[in-house]
Amino acid sequence: MMMIEERTPNARYAPIPRGVADYFWHEAYRRRELEASLLDLFRRWGYGDVIPPTFEYADVLNARASEKLRSEMYRFLDRDGSTLALRPDMTIPVARLVSTRLHDWPMPQRFCYAGSVFRYTQPQAGREREFRQAGVELIGAAGPEADAEVLALTCAGLEQTGLENFRLVIGQMGYFHGLLDDLQLTPDQQQALLDAVDRNSEAELAEFLRATPLRTQQRRTVEELLSLRGAEIDAVIAQADRLCLNYAMHSALENLRAICASLDAYGVCDYVHLDLTEIYNLGYYTGITFEALTPELGFSVAGGGRYDNLLGAFGESHPAVGVALGVDRILLALDEQRGTSPPRRPRLPDLAVMTRRSAQCMALVQTWRQAGLRVEVTLGAEDGQEAWQAIRARGMQALLVWDDGRFRLYTESSDNNSPALLSMEETQTYMGGLLSNKE
Amino acid sequence: MATRNKIQPSLMIALPKGRMASQTLDLLIAAGIPTPNGDVGRKLVIEAAGENGSETKNLRYILAKPSDVPTYVEYGAADVGVCGLDTLRESGRNVYEPLLLPFGRCHLSLCAPAERPNTPLRYESMPRVATKYPALTADFFRRRGVNAEIIALHGSVELGPLVGLADLIVDLVETGGTLRANGLVEIRTIMESQAVLIVNRAAYRLKAAVIDSLIARLRRVI
Repeated sequence: MMMIEERTPNARYAPIPRGVADYFWHEAYRRRELEASLLDLFRRWGYGDVIPPTFEYADVLNARASEKLRSEMYRFLDRDGSTLALRPDMTIPVARLVSTRLHDWPMPQRFCYAGSVFRYTQPQAGREREFRQAGVELIGAAGPEADAEVLALTCAGLEQTGLENFRLVIGQMGYFHGLLDDLQLTPDQQQALLDAVDRNSEAELAEFLRATPLRTQQRRTVEELLSLRGAEIDAVIAQADRLCLNYAMHSALENLRAICASLDAYGVCDYVHLDLTEIYNLGYYTGITFEALTPELGFSVAGGGRYDNLLGAFGESHPAVGVALGVDRILLALDEQRGTSPPRRPRLPDLAVMTRRSAQCMALVQTWRQAGLRVEVTLGAEDGQEAWQAIRARGMQALLVWDDGRFRLYTESSDNNSPALLSMEETQTYMGGLLSNKE
Repeated sequence: MATRNKIQPSLMIALPKGRMASQTLDLLIAAGIPTPNGDVGRKLVIEAAGENGSETKNLRYILAKPSDVPTYVEYGAADVGVCGLDTLRESGRNVYEPLLLPFGRCHLSLCAPAERPNTPLRYESMPRVATKYPALTADFFRRRGVNAEIIALHGSVELGPLVGLADLIVDLVETGGTLRANGLVEIRTIMESQAVLIVNRAAYRLKAAVIDSLIARLRRVI
């Protein structure tokens, strides 16, 4: 490994804002690679590409966003004085697009995307203010099979990244909304209940029960609320069923039951963990909500849910369900899982070639590039020895120097004072070796 | 479909340095949960080997600065932690808090020099308040529509009014002795605090068996 001297940059003070990052070398490459492989998977599931604008009118993005999401949007003024905002997620722009412009195209419509979204939050590991998401939206399908498809695709996507041991925690907003409808609480009482459930705090729930007059049946439901979670899907649903107070709660459970049955057909039930206490995502979600968790990270690597009221905010109303996978977080979890992080140096080409401006040599280089090798053409140096020194200083392994229909090969292991002279045939054999090493 | 690898039920517990750590250890011992043997000393990560077959084997403990415990737990560096409700609310960290523990009781109070006239706080235009809890203090005044000037300190907050640094202070009160010695009285209680068991949101699901068992055992001895 070469040593790089730490030098103070001879540059002006040119910082970058908090919460954004320069990605370069391996960090940039693996992001692009992960996004490309996820998009490829999404397309194989029948999803088509969409690229929403990076910023739009703030009012439009605000329409159904939760209080929290609204407070996290980056807003700025357009030249004409209207307020714009950077997209805080991809779901809202895609919903706006479909409901205003593609509403009469036959449903369902499937879209996939990858790109940056922006939120004003406290920057932490895996929580930058600009972060990358890859995901899908399935619009115009209300049934549980649609939810199951998105959940199964989430599993397939996470499996494909190489992540192990993740869990899909699924909740159903309808159940909790149904409960709130039944309880008819004052805003203060409701906040106390939401806080208690969000924190999973028995003490606060007990305090809520003490301070709030409820009917016996309602009281029993609230008392057992915090235990409605676990990997035993049937048991959790059965318990939740006994606590139902109204039709809304009941139909939320029916929906959950049907989704789990569909998931069984996909063979991904082992990943599933139910949690009816998960209400963190209060916002545009109306049906199931879910997040994917891994033991390596304390926060989710993917999240999504059903948002049947979002499209209606912009135009024609259609049911929809979607998921966003956190690209940066998945990479972070993979590093934690493997106990490694990518090398802090450039991804180097497979070899360098000094062409001496020969058309024949240049044509060969092009065939190698087409075959999938990463080939760099040296610049400047006229002398093989000098070029090899420069190549080695950058950590590269091999240099071919054109020598009138043959090549001189410089490598780490050979005697580079008198480099081997390869015939055209030997050169192609050598390149074949490099190619098969790559695979 | 093949059964997937079961997640290793090893658990990392963050304890706050100081009195609350020993109170927590006493409670854990009473609950029959393996704890570090002997003197903890200066080691920062301590293994506690439990009996095989039990759900609470493979416990590891870290001792952290109390105000850092919520951070460790939110990030998932520790699965479970113990800290005061005051510290937790001040940190604003997003964790589960399934169980209150029966120690560390105190309250966070707004205190003033004894001679301050008893007028409503909302009559103040811009009081200067010294505190170790700037977030909770700012929130307390904001709710009353008062724009307070918050002076964040790291200790000896009760000195503030004496030396003219601040008009009021917000601090933890256990017995009130320190306050009286410095000529201060409590004028408002901002929150009641006690120790709380906090759990990382992901670990709560991914290590549900071992964490639920830990909570159940603790509940039996509280």
